[in-house]
Amino acid sequence: MAEKVRDAVIIGGNRIPFARAHSAYAKSSNQDMLTSALNGLVARYGLQGQQLGAVAAGAVLKHSKNFNLARESVLGTPLDPKTPAYDVQMACATGTEAIGSLANKIRLGQIDSAIGGGVDSISDAPIVVTDELRGILMEANRARSLGARLKALAKIRPGHLAPQAPGTGEPRTGLSMGEHMAITAHQWGITRREQDELAVASHRNLAAAYEEGFFDDLVTPFKGLTKDNNMRGDSTVEKLAKLSPVFGKDLGEEATLTAANSTPLTDGASAVLLGTEEWADEHDLPKLANFVDYEQGAVDFVGGAEGLLMAPAYAAARLLKRNNLSFADFEYFEIHEAFASTVLAQIKAWESEEFCRGKLGLDAPLGSIDRSKLNVTGSSLAAGHPFAATGGRIVATLAKLLHGKPGKLGFISVCAAGGQGITAIIEGR
Amino acid sequence: MITVTEPRRIPLPELGRLYRKAVLDAVKSKLSTTGSLKALPKQPVLADHPGITQEQAEAYRQLVHGEAFDGVHRTSLPSVLVHIAGFPVQMALMSQRNFPLPLLGMVHLSNQVHHRKPVTAGQPLQILARAENLTAHRRGTQVDIVVEVSAEGEVLYTSTSVYLGRGTYLFEKPAAAPAPREEFLPPAKTALWTLGADAGREYAAVSGDYNPIHLTGITAKALGQKRAIVHGMYSAARMLEGREPETAGHRWSIEFSAPVTLPGKVAFAAEQIDEKTQRFSGWNPRKARPHFTGELTLP
Repeated sequence: MAEKVRDAVIIGGNRIPFARAHSAYAKSSNQDMLTSALNGLVARYGLQGQQLGAVAAGAVLKHSKNFNLARESVLGTPLDPKTPAYDVQMACATGTEAIGSLANKIRLGQIDSAIGGGVDSISDAPIVVTDELRGILMEANRARSLGARLKALAKIRPGHLAPQAPGTGEPRTGLSMGEHMAITAHQWGITRREQDELAVASHRNLAAAYEEGFFDDLVTPFKGLTKDNNMRGDSTVEKLAKLSPVFGKDLGEEATLTAANSTPLTDGASAVLLGTEEWADEHDLPKLANFVDYEQGAVDFVGGAEGLLMAPAYAAARLLKRNNLSFADFEYFEIHEAFASTVLAQIKAWESEEFCRGKLGLDAPLGSIDRSKLNVTGSSLAAGHPFAATGGRIVATLAKLLHGKPGKLGFISVCAAGGQGITAIIEGR
Repeated sequence: MITVTEPRRIPLPELGRLYRKAVLDAVKSKLSTTGSLKALPKQPVLADHPGITQEQAEAYRQLVHGEAFDGVHRTSLPSVLVHIAGFPVQMALMSQRNFPLPLLGMVHLSNQVHHRKPVTAGQPLQILARAENLTAHRRGTQVDIVVEVSAEGEVLYTSTSVYLGRGTYLFEKPAAAPAPREEFLPPAKTALWTLGADAGREYAAVSGDYNPIHLTGITAKALGQKRAIVHGMYSAARMLEGREPETAGHRWSIEFSAPVTLPGKVAFAAEQIDEKTQRFSGWNPRKARPHFTGELTLP
């Protein structure tokens, strides 16, 4: 073990352009996309034949045949096959958790180099059989005689044969994530206009960043796509105002969540290369930023005590306290736009005296976030959100933004299904 | 002076037979004049129940997507499963010849339960049912059916189910017009139940309550509903799932408004009123029309 905690350095990242579901990547599997994202990273940083400390990645919608998704993807790259790899899964925080836990291993001296990332495909989502049919098939499988097997199979009814696609519903509430968010947005009094403005800013910032070549060393083309195909640089608040709400429709006139201020279902993959200072130097690689710390959170949403996507609001308070920091100390904020209202609800919560005192147990509000520092190169509303790939997109983007600004800090917030979330701190170098 | 009436001991009834008898009685009532009985049978009915089986508990928890009865952390059976065990005895009481209201088409208005002590799978039970408070209702006549579930002489569970014999006016119609209904303002929902066309049949398979009003559109129409409606106690089961204490001692109630037609969606809200009390409501998310309200108070 290392004598003292070492810096976990973010060396660089790579992702494939994100594609709206059932578009450019309709025929690509999770493994195809993750392998491609890893291949791009390997090529960019000359990792061919290298044995890394570990590769951790995951997918939220994962087929059971992909039980070793990360390992199988590594075996499809020019990395040394002696590189261990494992799967991580924490809903939309999968990528961030993979990267954060690898950074901890590096900091503790367990490994010197790592790749963390994630992938998701809506277009190639695992479709399974009904519980009833599975029960019958398993019973037939356990049967010892042909007669017993046939007796089991005779129980199959036409209704059992309907395929079951994964949904975005929370298993314990039956509400989709959008419905949950609509309730939280309504409770925080977040207006339609605020949400649409945030969505437009996301598209414009992403388009501008592409325009100035910001993503040239962060994105590698895949299947003919060179940019995220959900991006609408010409988006305006006026255009978005014409859309009808899609979530919280039972709120009537007060429904505010539309298809434009909610992220679309997306396919894509991302990967981030981490290492110690020495490992980066030995391999003559850049050192963009340090992955300083991260904190998970979870809230009691099942009984409605807290909003489904509000966990980062709580995790942020603990993370800031542990690192003796306030929001004023940060240069950039990357708050994952699951919905425009997710970002706005967190910001409002941190500004709220009542919330910060009552729910976070603080003496005063955590404070405001300077909007000019928020999601400056666009976020999920524009780029799309292939669940497990979002963490890698955010970490690589923020590390690049902070590169050349030693000591400057960046803040990350990612919400996740199941009432969970992660916040993280990155420091430029 | 109050005389304590000895209960009539009966074998645990079979619900299917009771429903068949109810249909016959309904036909007969068309042929003969009824409404001559204006008093409730005084004698309670008592039956031995061999105990709720593990299989039934498992079927129930699959129906409501609950946590497993693992024999360690969860052994206490849900109140609605105890209600299910006692239901045939209620039905036997209500299908007696001297019961003044016709069984078929009876509407469940509300249920109040004091679940005093845990009931576990395999525990032999005694179930006593009696009828009380036959009173006028603006749409017919209502009655309280009280059920006591005991084991070894100790009462574990008491419930009062209020039923309405719709259209059977044994007393003069209450003169006063019904109080204007308060406008229902739905609270923020905490869940959405998506009920398939087979929700009634699924609850029937677990509970044995094959009341035709819950099974298919056609049988429901014959009983005056536009479509099949879900059992009221299914809503109670979903409402309570995961909220009842393992050591029991809790009280809960549910009051039914418009029935939930199938297939359908029910918006549901659980609100914490104080440390021990939760209030529930279920409503139609499209029409904002209430289906039920309920309350749970922990000991």
